[in-house]
Amino acid sequence: MTRAALLTGLLGLLATGCVTGRYGQVTINEPVDGAQLQALKPGEDTLASCLDALGAPVRVFEYRVAPDRTSGMALLWSWNQDRGWGVRASMSLRGASVSFDYGSQNLDLPGCVLWFGPDLVLERWREGRVGDLLPERVRPAPALD
Amino acid sequence: MKPLRSFALLTLLTLPACGLAYQSTNEPLDAVAIKELVPGRTTAREVVEKLGGPNEVVQLGRRTAYRYDASATKSAVLFLLLFNLGNQDTRQDRLWVFFDENDVLSHYGTTYGMHRVQYAMPWEDVHEPEDNASYDADRPGVGK
Repeated sequence: MTRAALLTGLLGLLATGCVTGRYGQVTINEPVDGAQLQALKPGEDTLASCLDALGAPVRVFEYRVAPDRTSGMALLWSWNQDRGWGVRASMSLRGASVSFDYGSQNLDLPGCVLWFGPDLVLERWREGRVGDLLPERVRPAPALD
Repeated sequence: MKPLRSFALLTLLTLPACGLAYQSTNEPLDAVAIKELVPGRTTAREVVEKLGGPNEVVQLGRRTAYRYDASATKSAVLFLLLFNLGNQDTRQDRLWVFFDENDVLSHYGTTYGMHRVQYAMPWEDVHEPEDNASYDADRPGVGK
């Protein structure tokens, strides 16, 4: 086989996209300012001062509901700034399409949660992965009792 | 140059390609209208009349909170034969308004990000403060 034929064959194989690598970045929202987060003081900061410092949260949850229906609240901020490598291989095998995909990017987003008591004063805050910060999901209350 | 070599070179040159995409959900929030909200005075009815229906309503004991949001995504991809480079940047405008048990606004918090969304390559930092400041300056109600 001549070198030219080999090159043409190789180009043909590559052009089919059987194996492709990738390097990518996915960014979602902007990270909360770490300095402003560290500066928050439980027992002193309020919902108003925390909203001023961090902006609008991504999610808001009911927290510690009392029998008289007073409650606190938990506010979640989350974002993503992830770079990573990946590879995808695909081929046709006896009429079936088979593919393999690997990526080094993290699926669990970083974030922080602030908990406020019924008086809307900051009780505590925590940083970490969203999956670790939030309690397990519970079935929501029915629309009509 | 021999025809076969020319063909191979031409193939190599034409296979790389790039793609750009823009997606958005909802209209950007009106920062000027939001600045007119007055905690302690504005009611839930007035908020809805001014901003429209919220995307989510959350019950917080006797209180309630409404979420308004919109998002934009810019994607840039460079296809290099066997290897692809890609970047996807998503930003949100968010507003949470909190009401007391009488449906009077007690607090609100805003984040404006849609106008900062960027096309970029994966090694670029899309959150540079200087970039954000220049984008903010062009958006009414957001720039200082």
